[in-house]
Amino acid sequence: MNLIRQIFIVAALNFKSLPQRFWTSMVIVVGLGATIGVMLSMMSMTTGISRAYLRAGDPGRAIVVSQGAEGEANSSISRSMAPLILDAPGIARGRDGKPLADRALNMGVPVLRANGTKGYTTLRGFGPNGVALRPEFRMMSGRMFRPGKREMIVGIGTQTMFQHMGIGDTIIMPDGEWPIVGVFSTGDILDGQIIGDTETVMNALHRGGYNSILARLSSPDSLDTFKRAMTTNPAISVTVMRHSDWYRKIAGEQTAGLIIIAYVVGAVMTLGALFGCLNTMYAAVSLRGREIATLRALGFSAFPVAVSVMLEAVALAAGGGLIGAAIAWLLYDGKRDAFGNTVFFLTVSPGLVGLGVSWAVVVALLGGIAPSIRAARRPVVEALRAT
Amino acid sequence: MKYLPLVWAAVMRKPVRAVLTLLSVMIAFTLFGLTIGMNATFDAVQKEAHDDRVFTGARFSGDNGFMPLAMARQIAALPGVAGVAYNSAVFGYHQVPRNRVFVLMTDAGFQKMFAEWPITAQQWDLLHNNRTGILVSRAMADMWKLKPGDDFTVAAPQIKRADGTNSWTLHVLAIVGDVAYMNPGYMLGNFDYYNKALAAGWQDRASQIFVKTTDPDGSAAMAQAIDHHFASSALPTQSTTEKAAFDISNSGIDIAAVDIDIALAGMFMVLFLTANGIAQSVRERFAEFATLKTIGFSDRGVMGLVFLEAALPCVLGAVLGIALAAGLAHVLPSLLPPGNGVPLPRVNATVLVWAAISAAAVALFSSALPALRLKQMDIATALSGR
Repeated sequence: MNLIRQIFIVAALNFKSLPQRFWTSMVIVVGLGATIGVMLSMMSMTTGISRAYLRAGDPGRAIVVSQGAEGEANSSISRSMAPLILDAPGIARGRDGKPLADRALNMGVPVLRANGTKGYTTLRGFGPNGVALRPEFRMMSGRMFRPGKREMIVGIGTQTMFQHMGIGDTIIMPDGEWPIVGVFSTGDILDGQIIGDTETVMNALHRGGYNSILARLSSPDSLDTFKRAMTTNPAISVTVMRHSDWYRKIAGEQTAGLIIIAYVVGAVMTLGALFGCLNTMYAAVSLRGREIATLRALGFSAFPVAVSVMLEAVALAAGGGLIGAAIAWLLYDGKRDAFGNTVFFLTVSPGLVGLGVSWAVVVALLGGIAPSIRAARRPVVEALRAT
Repeated sequence: MKYLPLVWAAVMRKPVRAVLTLLSVMIAFTLFGLTIGMNATFDAVQKEAHDDRVFTGARFSGDNGFMPLAMARQIAALPGVAGVAYNSAVFGYHQVPRNRVFVLMTDAGFQKMFAEWPITAQQWDLLHNNRTGILVSRAMADMWKLKPGDDFTVAAPQIKRADGTNSWTLHVLAIVGDVAYMNPGYMLGNFDYYNKALAAGWQDRASQIFVKTTDPDGSAAMAQAIDHHFASSALPTQSTTEKAAFDISNSGIDIAAVDIDIALAGMFMVLFLTANGIAQSVRERFAEFATLKTIGFSDRGVMGLVFLEAALPCVLGAVLGIALAAGLAHVLPSLLPPGNGVPLPRVNATVLVWAAISAAAVALFSSALPALRLKQMDIATALSGR
């Protein structure tokens, strides 16, 4: 009898006896279900936050911030420097022949969360090209703010996450309250933010500079041309990044801490589940001692017996992992949430489910190896005599 | 007590199972200690926060993030204000950018405003008489290995000094006690020194104003009154009560609830595990229990034995797990990057009580079904081994 056939027969026998060992086997399923469920629930946050940022980044755009600035809010581009940047080669031109680039503002502004607590979101300034640069931008209701007018538009996510974000509500500014005239959506982090006209907001806040400049590249390859123009001009000291890379960096910074916490909690729970898995598989091997010995006496070799034990552990663990992932998905996937000033959708992606199930399988392999060796090594006669 | 050897013998019938169960329970309680311990820290912060204090900051950040000192004087004149203090901060890094540092540069009113902080009058005097001096809390002193007499240099590239440099050399005067909500530790310097060292245009501005109210119940109204007062000025403010500022449920996600969920998931896992272990053990020793009943053990006696058998790994695992969590909480600060702001879990009486309750609940629930089966067993059938 060849090895594969032996493995198949022994494994089939194993699985047939599973119902008799139902509750014991459930230790593995529940242990890994809880572990993977907790891990993926926590990671649904980091995945959701990452997605919201990554979607905002377009490889066809470049962002310019002051030299070394870590975020748009702590970057400053002076009024005098801005035209030099806009005239640089590598930037696409609009129909009017003017550079397709926009002077932007970005700052924190207090909001009242839906649960009544105080929080912050981002107030952006869009210049005349702010919308033209973003094909993903759509007005959902109301109208766009008028340039030069003290008006605001709000992202669609702000309406569920914060209070007083309806059309007709107002945003407190240093020179009084500005009415909200429209609701927009971009499908990314901007959905949790507020937008006004750059120059008008600047006047209200007595600001001397912009925060960043966003530009459409004339072609995806023209980033280098643009960058070279920026670095060779001594009058300009800025950092230029592809917009998608910029948001990849920010998404990484925003989620790094949460990812570490999710992995630490996951690792601790995994250790607990691993001991449970070992326990169950040892019990299974000892319960099936005589059955295994009979198979060995009939001429089955040790290897298929060991493999069958591993297969059982893996199947149970994968089942547990899937259940945990399903629970995380049912509870959280698609729910709108906010972390700090980032509004996003909790996401249990297929990749995350894959991670959870593979994680569970690895735990099963680790937890199954010692019991399977024990099963294969046990002297046949001793096992047959055992009560 | 005299049945303990009996229970011990039962547990040690399968030493591998006993050890694995114990380890599993221990790990679950380590997680329990860390998460519920984190919540204990949040509670301690809430308890230490005072009702009668309001924090006022600028509504808009960036260039608009500072408030002229005149605003502090205006607030002091509002009805219901018992006192005002303010600070700015030297924020930057020590030696390398990953070593983030935050030194609060406080005015003379700070001593009275935060009178309950563990800083003696002599230590305050030291600070007020040494312009470049700082008071360093124990946790910060441990983190940076500082003792009185040391110099501590902070690079603060975002602050404009009159001399054009960005380096602040501060002199450690004394090590003072920690405050729960100043996590992980704090450093206090002199506002006056900081202010005079700044470049023109940067001087005479505070980043935060602290307000003491005459009526502790009136702090929320005071916060509103301050914001209302500056609402249509060039610099609108954003005020919160100290209680609200340090309430973790205001941080955007309810971390306390997440902590409890994680701890519960861990408990659920071990409940299943111990319940199975006990059920299996009882099934294997059915005839043994029948014998015990035959020689006169009462139903309650037999059930008690089963409960104790379940309780042994639970209690031992809980003790070891919580001890491990307490140990981890102790070494955690040295593992994390400095200035990360992650609150440290603490294992206090509340955590111990909840751990004890959870351990007892797991033991009780996991032994309930097997114990019931023993109560209802037919002795003759069990003894015959059928």
